[in-house]
Parts: sequence; C-alpha cells; structure tokens
Amino acid sequence: MRLSPRSIPMSWKARETRYAYATVLPVVVVVALFTIYPVVYAVSTSLRQVVLYRPDSTPFVGLKNYVDIVRGDFFPTAWAHTLTFTLFAVPLATVLGFGTAHLLRVRSRLAGFLNAAVLLPWAIPTVISGVIWAWIFNSTYGAFNGVLYSLGLISSYIPLLSRPSSALFCVLFAHIWKELPLTSILYVAALQAIPDELYDAARADGAGVLAMLRRITIPLVLPTTLIVVIYESMVAIVTFDLLYVMTGGGPAGATSLISYYIYNRMFTSYNFGQGAALAVILALSLIVFILVYLRVLNSEEVYRE
Amino acid sequence: MRHSRTQQLLVTALALLAAAYILAPFAWVAVSSIQPEKELFSVPPHWVPRILTGDNYRFIFTGKFPAGYTETGLLRGRISEKARDALPALMNSTIVALTVAAANLLLGVVAAYSFSRLRFRGAGALYTFVLASRLLPPMALAIPYYLIVARLGLLDRYGALILIHSAVTLPFTVWFLAVYFKRVPPDMEDAALVDGCTRLQVLVRIVAPVAAPALAAAAAFAFMFSYNDFPFALFVTSTIRSQTIPVIVSATAVNPDVSFGVVAVTVVLTMLPPVAFALLFRRYITRGLITVVTTR
Repeated sequence: MRLSPRSIPMSWKARETRYAYATVLPVVVVVALFTIYPVVYAVSTSLRQVVLYRPDSTPFVGLKNYVDIVRGDFFPTAWAHTLTFTLFAVPLATVLGFGTAHLLRVRSRLAGFLNAAVLLPWAIPTVISGVIWAWIFNSTYGAFNGVLYSLGLISSYIPLLSRPSSALFCVLFAHIWKELPLTSILYVAALQAIPDELYDAARADGAGVLAMLRRITIPLVLPTTLIVVIYESMVAIVTFDLLYVMTGGGPAGATSLISYYIYNRMFTSYNFGQGAALAVILALSLIVFILVYLRVLNSEEVYRE
Repeated sequence: MRHSRTQQLLVTALALLAAAYILAPFAWVAVSSIQPEKELFSVPPHWVPRILTGDNYRFIFTGKFPAGYTETGLLRGRISEKARDALPALMNSTIVALTVAAANLLLGVVAAYSFSRLRFRGAGALYTFVLASRLLPPMALAIPYYLIVARLGLLDRYGALILIHSAVTLPFTVWFLAVYFKRVPPDMEDAALVDGCTRLQVLVRIVAPVAAPALAAAAAFAFMFSYNDFPFALFVTSTIRSQTIPVIVSATAVNPDVSFGVVAVTVVLTMLPPVAFALLFRRYITRGLITVVTTR
C-alpha cells in the first residue's frame, strides 16, 4: 500500500525533509570541497603565470598559457600519442573482451577456473601490474625477450621499453591485461541476456556460426559494445599509472600521453600555470566526450532492438 | 549445444591461451620473488627455477641482507633498503582503505537511500552534482588537492587520503546503491513507517539486511579504489608516515639499480589482500561491475 499524501501529517513530512538533508549533506559537502574549489583554482591558475621560482608574483596573463601550450612542440605529440594509444587500446580491449566472454561461458572445469582467474588483473593496483610488466619486458633479463630468444625468433635481446617504436606497445600489452577483466565480464552479462531460442531458430534455418554471430550476437550486444568502447576510451585517455612505472614517459617522450605530460609540466618543469591550462583542456575534452557518451546511451536507436 | 571435436579443441586451446596471458605475470613475479638475484640475471631465464630461497622475504621482514648482496656491491643493498618500507606502507594502505570503506557505508548508504526514496527540494540537482563530480580527470585535480590538504594541515597524514578517497568513492557508492534501492519495492518500508518507525530505523532494520550483498559490493569497491589509488597518494604523501603501498612499490621499482627479487616480494605482498578479496567476493564484485558501467 502506498501512503496517500493526505494521510501524512505536516510535521512528519517536515521531519522527513530534515532527515533527507541531514543524510545527503555530508556527502555533498565532501564532494563539493574536492570539486568546486579544485575547478575554480585550476581555471584561475591557468590564467596566471605561476612558476615555482616566483611564488609571490602570479600576474594575470589571460590565455597566454593556453596559447603557449597549444603552440608548443609537445602538445600535438602528447595528443598524438594519446590518440594512437587509445585507437589501439579500445578495439583490442573490446574485441578481446568479447572473445574472452565466450570462453567464460563454456561449461567446463577450465572455464570455471578462468572465471575466477579473470578478475585478478582488475583487482591489483595498476602500479603493481606496471611493475610486473616492466620486469617482463626488461631489456636485459626480461621473460618476454627470453621467450622470443628461446624460441629462436631473436638472436639477442631487444630493449623493448627503451625504443620509441616499441615502448608504447609494451604499455598497451599491460593496459589490455588490466582492462580485459572488466570488458569480458560486461560481455558475459550481455551474452547471457540473449535468449537461446534465437540461436535455436537460426540453427533450424541452417545458419552457420558466422551468420549467427553477425546477425544475432553482434547486433544484440551493441548497447554493451557502445558502453565498453566509450568507457575504455575514457580510461585510455587518462592513462598515467602504467606510464609512471613502466617508461616514465620515455624514451624521448614516446609514451608521454596527455596525463603524463601534465604531470611533467607541473612536477618536473614546475610550470603550474601551463599545467593547469593543460588540465583544463583535458577536462573539457573529456566532458565533451562524456556528453557524446550520454547522448549515445540515451539515443533510442541503441535500445530499439 | 553440439560442437564438433575441432571446435572443442579450438575453444580449449584459446581458453588455455587466455589463462596463460592472465596468470603468467602473477606466476612469473611469484617465482622471481623466491630466487637469488644472480639467478634472475640469466639469459635466457631459467623457466623452472634451479635454486629457491626465502632470502628476499627475510630481507623485507627482518632486514637481513640476502646472501648475493655482497657480490653485487653495497650500493645495491642500500638502494633496496627502501623496499623495507613495504610493511609499514601495507599497514598504511589497509588502515586508509578500511576507513574509506567504513565512511562509504556510514555516509554513502544513508545518502543513497534518501536520494532513492525521499523527495526534497534540490534533490535532483544535488544528485547530478555528486555524480558529475566524477567526470574530472585526476590529473586536473592534483595541484588543487594538494593545496586543500595543505590548508587543512593534513599533508602526509591518513586524513588527507581518507578525505580524498572518500570524495572520489562516495559518488559511486551513492549512485550504485540508489540504483539498487530504487529496484526494491517500498511496500515493507511504508508499512514500517505507518507502524511508527523512523526513516533511519527502516533503513537499518528492513532495507540494509535485504541489500546486504549490494552494501558489501559498495564497501569492496571503496576498499579496492583506496588500496589501488596511485596518483592522489603520490601527491599528498611524502614520508612513510602515510605513504601507501603503491607509492612505495613504484618508488622502489623505478630505481634502475634495485634488486628485482626484493621488488617482487613487495609486489607479491601487495597483491595478496586484493586477490584474496576478489576471490572471496567474486559474485558481488562481478554483479557490481556490471551495474557500474551499464546502469545510468
């Protein structure tokens, strides 16, 4: 039974409202402290010249930091590296997640074991996975080189992490390892929601595995695919932890993605004004991205199936 | 379903490949942690270790140098000394993460319940504000966070990490649980209210027991986030008084002269709590992960 508004005495209603504010406010206050002030501060810093060696003089310089950043050599390269990384990371995480999900749904002891194992890379700190993968890709003693060497594929070890051409791919390898649990679990849920009858009917009509994949599975998991693609893009764009422990942004800036570049501006060059301007640019790009994300999620097309 | 023999073989082979990709790094670091340093330097590596030792573990727990250290020089030993901070750092991480999980249960659950059940002026706006706060990338917040923490006098204190981690995890907890509460029919709660229970009593006695799995998942996520956080901990901690384990392990590992055997021990010790956690709460976490990304 739902209470009709008339049966509720006024004082009771007032009490409910007071209770509502009392319970909601602590969260709102904590979140506001760590949202509103940082945003205001970042925007205001980005419009000033703020450098470490002149803490007392922070003149207003308008959009100079933004102009300097955008005109600088490293800004386009940092974005180019970020986009390269994202363009590889997102399709790989998506397709491998989709594939792994199928393996997880098989009824076998191996699949049961895989179901427990698949969570583990997600569970451990990203920094820790970076340390492990850096050891595996180590130029002089790494297991990855060791495998290639033992198989006779290379005659001497390759310094994978210190070559601009391969360093980003080593990070990518670790990144996919970390993201695979989430994408495959999401796809397991999506696959479970597809009624078996659809496949039975298709099979009765003589459809092959590929036809069913193309006509049934892929269209029906499309909403999940969109979510995975957009979520993974956001994760890839802000990648930082792996870079910090695996490459330090090097060699020669080859793995200096945008988040790492900001970190570098602030804590190596100590140019806080430029760092803040960069942070604002990154935040705005992400917000645009998220708005598109929400637009896509809300669009009828996805849910019409 | 009918599968041909070749199909079954293919599926098994792929599953083994996936298992190898997922588990090999864990196995490799564990094996590295129980070998003397000299063994780790062989090219190609000994895939099956020849010599096993507990020296690296003993170094972390007691400070007694592993036998091989005298050969590789004093410098290396001195540098690896930082790895001994792993134990206090694990303690710091655990204390902070447990407090953050508790704060999420204490503040997040009541807020989520109010958002999902009660109507009050500004509810929609506040809810949107809390959720939207998570859209800011961590790197954009780094310096302001540092300044807030400094002004509160909390630099290098647990309090700084607890506040920041709570600010980051609470929006998620509120959202996750509000979505969950909305799906529960309110009939029982309405009946209890008519019987004279207060909202808080209803939440504690009726809603919480039913929602226990969701609460466990929310607490687990908060714990995991706090335990795993790197960038924020990097900015607001400076000594072992508050440095968490990701900070210590990264500081140790990025040093090119460090002994990997010792780093491997810190890695293994760091992984134990979250791995145990993930295996124990597997069902809740899986369900939670799905809700996280798919529900709006």
